Amino acid sequence: MNNTNHNIESPKEKQNRHKAMEAIKLLNTLREDFKAPISSMGYFYDLFERVHCKHESLHDDKTKIGTMCIQIPSEIIYALDGIPIRLCNGFYTDDEIGSDFMPQKACPLIKATVGHFASGNFTDKPDIVFSPTTCDQKTKAGTTIESFGYKLIDVDFPRTKESEASREYWRRSVKQFAVELSKFQGKKLTKNNLKDAIKKIGYAQLLYHKLSEFRKNEIVPILGMDVFLVTNAFFFDKIDNWIEATEKLLSELEIRAREKITVTGKASPRIIYTGSPPIFPNYKIPQIIEESDGIIVADETCSSNRMFNDMVAVDEWNIYDMMDSISDKYLKACTCPIFTKNEDRIRRVIQLAREYKADGVIYQAFAGCTVYEMEQRSVLEAMEKEGIPILYLESDYSPSQGGQLSTRVEAFIESLKTRRRNKK
Amino acid sequence: MKYFAGIDIGSTAIKISIVDENKNLIGSKISASGSMFYKYAQETLDALISELGFNNNDIVYIVATGYGRKLYKEADENISEITANAIGARAAASEFGEIKTIINIGGQDSKAISLDSEGNVVNFAMNDRCAAGTGKFLDVVALKLEMDVNMLGEYHFRSKGTPLSVSSTCAVFAESEIIGLLGNDHSIEDIVCGVHYSIAKRIVKLVKRVGIKEGIYFDGGPALNDGLVNAIENEIGQRIFVPKHPQITTSFGAAIMGVDSYNYENS
Repeated sequence: MNNTNHNIESPKEKQNRHKAMEAIKLLNTLREDFKAPISSMGYFYDLFERVHCKHESLHDDKTKIGTMCIQIPSEIIYALDGIPIRLCNGFYTDDEIGSDFMPQKACPLIKATVGHFASGNFTDKPDIVFSPTTCDQKTKAGTTIESFGYKLIDVDFPRTKESEASREYWRRSVKQFAVELSKFQGKKLTKNNLKDAIKKIGYAQLLYHKLSEFRKNEIVPILGMDVFLVTNAFFFDKIDNWIEATEKLLSELEIRAREKITVTGKASPRIIYTGSPPIFPNYKIPQIIEESDGIIVADETCSSNRMFNDMVAVDEWNIYDMMDSISDKYLKACTCPIFTKNEDRIRRVIQLAREYKADGVIYQAFAGCTVYEMEQRSVLEAMEKEGIPILYLESDYSPSQGGQLSTRVEAFIESLKTRRRNKK
Repeated sequence: MKYFAGIDIGSTAIKISIVDENKNLIGSKISASGSMFYKYAQETLDALISELGFNNNDIVYIVATGYGRKLYKEADENISEITANAIGARAAASEFGEIKTIINIGGQDSKAISLDSEGNVVNFAMNDRCAAGTGKFLDVVALKLEMDVNMLGEYHFRSKGTPLSVSSTCAVFAESEIIGLLGNDHSIEDIVCGVHYSIAKRIVKLVKRVGIKEGIYFDGGPALNDGLVNAIENEIGQRIFVPKHPQITTSFGAAIMGVDSYNYENS
């Protein structure tokens, strides 16, 4: 025997290596494979490398409040001195682990989230988890996660948003959430701490909107993949660091816009991305798009635009009004396909396509995400009516499958180029 | 004393083992298959016989195996490399304990073989017709990195960063991926480590098809690469047994088969 001298990895070490390998692959692609890289993106590349390859914790000193969807108001978490950690997960390694606990045809995002909890392998382990009852699979995943020994609290979320009753229902849920969290943190929600938190998140949203403005330019100075990385970092980064890094990014983009530095080719079609969220490191479809000479100029997804688009609109800065305004932001403005009627989403996509002068829309659904798969029909019909070309794709987290998808995306992008040429 | 030869004619190398009546390994020899399997096989056998101080009459029975086995007409018998591998592994691992699964990585293919408690082959899986995850793949990688294939193990253990995965399973595409990684100044150590893990993941998938059990034996030329051994152990989550001479297991098994066949025919 010639191999007794080397240790075998523990299951945890193996998972960490697998995840590190997934992460570094994407990060190296972003760092190296595109033209005119942005130097201030370095902060975000390094952040993901620190967390996923070097396994650094970011929030040792704070209570970590795990959230399972965007509907859990971060404003209230910050006000109560917690750190919101959004646990929606994009790792194939965790997807495979989660497969043991979920039906085979379940959504990869939820499988990966469950797998992450099953492995217990966190750099910043949540002290408590709040799970809004949004889609079926997330709702049911809560009990599975609880069975692993995590403290998890459901937050009742209605699936209609037109009625006044559902608005009231959700407002009560948000209040209940605040009560639970306040108990857990041993802190009281006050007018001041809530106002500060709303302002801070509002400022982060403002930065996102400024970032988006650059993407309306004819010369696009930033890749869609880079923007996804910035918004995904908001899931877990220290908010002050995120704000500082994004401010730096904006100043660099300002210079790039002035000097007309672009990341695209001359005729790169402008794409709106909608559907199941790209979550690090599952940037499979965005990567195919941008490697096929498309440029994502805007998106309608819950891992990016939907987190930042709508602000908390407060009339009177008293605590009741603030709470109601927060509740409304997370219900009324939400364009998730779990809702019974979802005309808002179609309107949003059309509006984005116009504002960002898009050549086409790419709609991606995770195989197993029934609601996105179902809503595909109405969105496709609406786009057809508007004369906006749209491509529908289904994908999952597996690293293979790239060939077939890229052929379809390439053909779509080529058709957009031809269309543009014929228009001129 | 009577002696028995097993000749394993593979795509990359010819391996010959000679055993005595008691199935003890007396000698072995490895040479490149080159373009003329038959001629090189004969030359290698002659060389081994003279090295051992024997003459041709001492060898009473020859069993051929491997991909080129049918080209060696002088053999008394020929058997598939899967059967021969199973017999050889069981004999070579007698000190280790019972073998339940064999991983074999050859020059141009890879296999997982599952055995029952008597050592009979119950199931096996082979890679698709492609060089991915085979010795050839490692040759291509070593060539691109301008190093000898024997050095890969050493580089593997020197890797300090995250192993850089090579996603193409095709040896040709993987080559261009490696060129890309080199072009971006990534450490050769991390590239080598990533290549080993890519192969290991494929191999583990293959093993899963026949079922992962305790008692895994790994042979074939690439088993000499302890970096690859380490990667497979990590992916599979258990210690695997690598024999002292991993390249000759199959020819050893063929030679043992020769003893049994000879005794049977002359009883």
